[in-house]
Amino acid sequence: MTAPAMTIERRDGGLMAACFTAMASPCEVLVASSDEPLVRELGSLAAQEAWRIERKYSRYRDDSVIAAIQRAAGRQIELDAESAGLIEFAAQCFEISDGLFDITSGVLRRAWKFDGSDRVPSAETVRALLPLVGFDKLRWQSPYLTVPPGMELDLGGIGKEYAVDRAHDLLHGRSAVPFLVNFGGDLRADRAAPHGAWQIGVERPDSEREAIMILQLERGALTTSGDSRRFLLREGRRYGHILDPRTGWPVVGAPRSVTVAGSSCTEAGLLSTLALLHGAEARAFLEEQGVRYWVVD
Amino acid sequence: MSAASVRADDSSADPALPDPDPQRLVDSSLSYYHENGRIMAVEPVVNLSADFGNDETLGINVTFDSLSGSTPNGAIPSTKPQTFATPSGHNLSGVPQTYTTPSGTLGTVTSPIYTTLPGQLPMDPNYQDQRLSISSSYQKPLSRLMRVTMGGDVSYEHDFLSTSVNGALARDYNDKNTTLSVAGNAEFDLVHPIGGSPVPLSDYTLFDKVGNHTKHDLNLIFGLTQVMARRWLSSANLSVDRFSGYLNDPYKIISVVDSGGNVTGYLYENRPNNRTRASAFWENRFGLSRTMIGVSLRYMADDWGIRSDTAQLRLRWWNSDHNKYVEPQLRWYKQTQANFYTPWLTSMTVPSTFASADERLGAFHALTWGLKYAFQYGGDADVGPSELSVRAEYYTQVADNRLPGPGVLQGLDLYPGLQAILCQVEWKFGY
Repeated sequence: MTAPAMTIERRDGGLMAACFTAMASPCEVLVASSDEPLVRELGSLAAQEAWRIERKYSRYRDDSVIAAIQRAAGRQIELDAESAGLIEFAAQCFEISDGLFDITSGVLRRAWKFDGSDRVPSAETVRALLPLVGFDKLRWQSPYLTVPPGMELDLGGIGKEYAVDRAHDLLHGRSAVPFLVNFGGDLRADRAAPHGAWQIGVERPDSEREAIMILQLERGALTTSGDSRRFLLREGRRYGHILDPRTGWPVVGAPRSVTVAGSSCTEAGLLSTLALLHGAEARAFLEEQGVRYWVVD
Repeated sequence: MSAASVRADDSSADPALPDPDPQRLVDSSLSYYHENGRIMAVEPVVNLSADFGNDETLGINVTFDSLSGSTPNGAIPSTKPQTFATPSGHNLSGVPQTYTTPSGTLGTVTSPIYTTLPGQLPMDPNYQDQRLSISSSYQKPLSRLMRVTMGGDVSYEHDFLSTSVNGALARDYNDKNTTLSVAGNAEFDLVHPIGGSPVPLSDYTLFDKVGNHTKHDLNLIFGLTQVMARRWLSSANLSVDRFSGYLNDPYKIISVVDSGGNVTGYLYENRPNNRTRASAFWENRFGLSRTMIGVSLRYMADDWGIRSDTAQLRLRWWNSDHNKYVEPQLRWYKQTQANFYTPWLTSMTVPSTFASADERLGAFHALTWGLKYAFQYGGDADVGPSELSVRAEYYTQVADNRLPGPGVLQGLDLYPGLQAILCQVEWKFGY
């Protein structure tokens, strides 16, 4: 793989941005500095970390940990500390969400292709996949993991947020200038921007590159989950891409998008995803959590 | 400026014979203007005129301006950072630094916003404009004592189109020692601001903007030039302007502050749709053997409540060969504020009628120091001497009538002055 590109841009408000692509998403590190070598260094640190995590947990690479787990095909394997930490986190998420948050739900994508068409799968097709879904069907005794044959793990739901937190911690230790890490819309700011809070646009669900509101973030993380442009439409009914792992069917009545503020990106990402999985109950769920949130219906 | 200004130059009287080979004069200049920390402008001007003799002249003027830099947006300094959108932005609340998205995309953050640091005067740093103006005038004698001048002007900027026509009639009396003139100018402007014209007094963050506007100016000048003595020329004029239409500055806003001095928002300004202005001007020139003294006074009053006084003194010293001179000048200016001028609004006093925080409508006084050096060469019986000159001016403007800001604004300088320099090279030659 050739060294992927990173570009440095000058932004308004005395900011510079290091931009690159990782995990199939545009990524940027905003730095409140005009010191280009420093911005390049911080951007490079963040990019290397994002690419490392992408390589390690990609479903599409033969040399990833995920590939190794799939290859084990029912045999127990021992995970390295970082991977074990992520699986342990996923286990906790599964538990506290009563099975709503499930890293094994990816197999449902075999039935559901959210391409804007009307190809809603049959009930039988979905039902046939359900035996392959359920974190409780795994055998997990950290660091030993056994994944039954046919089941799949997908860390896509937590990998990006985890990468943001990792990059944040790395940059925090390297420099004292205010910065913000944003990987594909999941972001975390360290220290307030020099001219006050960071101005974060919440993307209008139906229109890319347009903000529906501006949030002020001094520090901490913001993530947004939504079913913006991925859906099926059949007989006037919209099937959003948020699937309930317990039924195999899209959640009903979910908001268009949910934005949650948290101290870490992993925490905020979990809550914004879970809120969507609660469908029409998203607001009630968020109220219970006692976090700052913004919902777009 | 009206191309129909009365000729009160100390140009020599030409022999009153029609000349088949007209005398052509080129007057070209290049100016550099710089306001301290603000706008910078470069302006080349070419003025071609042909003198057919017997007071028949044709002139064409081409002026190009290029301006760039920072321009105050009308808001006052604050104790907190202030963020604004440039006029082309869609919405102040739509110009984030980055985006949180469910789609995995990141909005392209090219939104033009700017942030002003605490205590600093809010200025749009991206101001840029070019102006091209072409005007012409034709003067022709109607009789031995009477001249008529006709002209027109077209001026184009990316957000402004101006056209005007003018005419003047001048008649000599008293053995050409007295000249009376009357001149009129009609101007029609089309204003199409970048991003649209804001709805007056609307909330700045809403970016509530509508289309284009027009404005008109009718101007009438009555002039009198009198040779008082062999070396004393006196001229006076009375001028009346009637402006109507869209007279707002579409890019100017007003800060709204609470009683504690915290900025709670901004409104777009609103000026009346009409303005009538009258001014009186009187100039005297005294020519001594190697010295010229020019003293002028101007008084202006308009129905917006602005009164202004201008006094100017010019001295010109020639060398003994009478081909070089230095010309120092001093100009003093003072104006009162428009009655709807308000540097800020308080949340309690948001107006229902007119308000502007444009410092040009506030009370201030200004002083201009200038020095010109010129040297002349060539010239013969047919063609006058050519002249090359350099000029420098220094301008300072200080706000009057300063009110202390409420609450936390008390310690801030809410009336930053203005300093500017002008440098100009001018070359006039005939052929």
